[in-house]
Amino acid sequence: MQPDSNLDALMARYQQGDFDAATDMIERISPQLHRLFLAHSQSRLDADDLLQETWLRIHKVRHTYRPGEPALPWFYAIARHVRVDHYRKSVRTAIGERQLEAMSEEVATAPGESDHTDGLSALLAPLSASQREVIEMLKVVGMSLEEVARATSSSVGSVKQKVHRAYKKLRETMSAAGFSKGQSGGLS
Amino acid sequence: MKDEEIDDFLTRAARAPYDLKPETLQRVADSIKPSLRSVRSLPPTWVMAGGLVLVCAAVSLVGAARAGFFGFAKMDLLERLLVFPALVILVWLAATEFVHAMIPGSLRRISPGALLGFASVALLAVFAFLFRDYQTDHFFSIGIVCLLAGFLHAIPAALLGWLLIRRGFAVNSILAGLVAGVLGGLAGVGMLELHCPNFQAAHVLVWHTAVVPLSAAAGALVGWTLRFRSTSSAGERSNTK
Repeated sequence: MQPDSNLDALMARYQQGDFDAATDMIERISPQLHRLFLAHSQSRLDADDLLQETWLRIHKVRHTYRPGEPALPWFYAIARHVRVDHYRKSVRTAIGERQLEAMSEEVATAPGESDHTDGLSALLAPLSASQREVIEMLKVVGMSLEEVARATSSSVGSVKQKVHRAYKKLRETMSAAGFSKGQSGGLS
Repeated sequence: MKDEEIDDFLTRAARAPYDLKPETLQRVADSIKPSLRSVRSLPPTWVMAGGLVLVCAAVSLVGAARAGFFGFAKMDLLERLLVFPALVILVWLAATEFVHAMIPGSLRRISPGALLGFASVALLAVFAFLFRDYQTDHFFSIGIVCLLAGFLHAIPAALLGWLLIRRGFAVNSILAGLVAGVLGGLAGVGMLELHCPNFQAAHVLVWHTAVVPLSAAAGALVGWTLRFRSTSSAGERSNTK
């Protein structure tokens, strides 16, 4: 959870063509984005590709960030677009690539490659993709409700509703699994 | 289990170290370095929205000037004072939302679907209040002409609007297309109100208002087509690898 103001300043410098600012931002934002991608993708390789694609897209449309606006929702809105686009492309190419897909699944589940046993992913697994996304942005990245609404192109009310439903589901799942306070439950 | 306990679990899970390979970060940095140069950020929302309002006004006025300002001439003062300010407010609202749809991370005050619903209901309310002639002469034959005329003006308004803010980036092309369609449709309605002298309530309520949802549907279809083509071409590239 890092303060956003510094990020806004870095973004302004990035728009001026400052490579150091770009590198700083890549180092700060990439782990969060990668974690988000990993929670929704098949493998670390996929998440790496999505991260690369996201930064290329960010770079291409960096002029659409306007100084004074919060930078994090801007990053996440683009990352979300890249992830959804990637999902659609994979669905469209699935029929013609069944064999390749089978191969990639083998690669994806090869030992040492898959990170689906990551604690947070395991904890959020019962949630729907949109609920997981909102909880990650709120609780892991530390965005405010308004920032999450900006990043997901929805209203604050809609975000609140998703959080409410996600907590209800988490409460049920964690109670059923016997989680209790002070117990890590394999989360870390 | 309480919400605070879930928060606690999430916080502990989120605090778990997450390492990203340095070479991955380096690869990202290297990929953007060659094309890194200073860029000019987009102007404020009100500037772009103002430009869009001017585009819509220009399309409506030019269209009505070519066809004749018969509707405007037939209107009384109250009708002019209600219809055109209502249209300007709706166009401003649609223009602002179109700008938001073209800038990632913008705060949406109204969803595109709600915008379409609100614009249609607002037009229906204004027209129902003002026009009380309940005759229906040549309802379909005249109505279709007005619907087509409005739609044919919605197309250039939406296209010119898109040209004006093309430096933006739509994270959802279908919704951006829908909002552009609503904006263009309102320009089409503006042209019809200036030109069409048929003040029969059923005609105005049905055929004039229908321009907005028709244009919105066309805009959403264009957005969907663009996204479909984008994913198809990516799929073809992937298949030929």
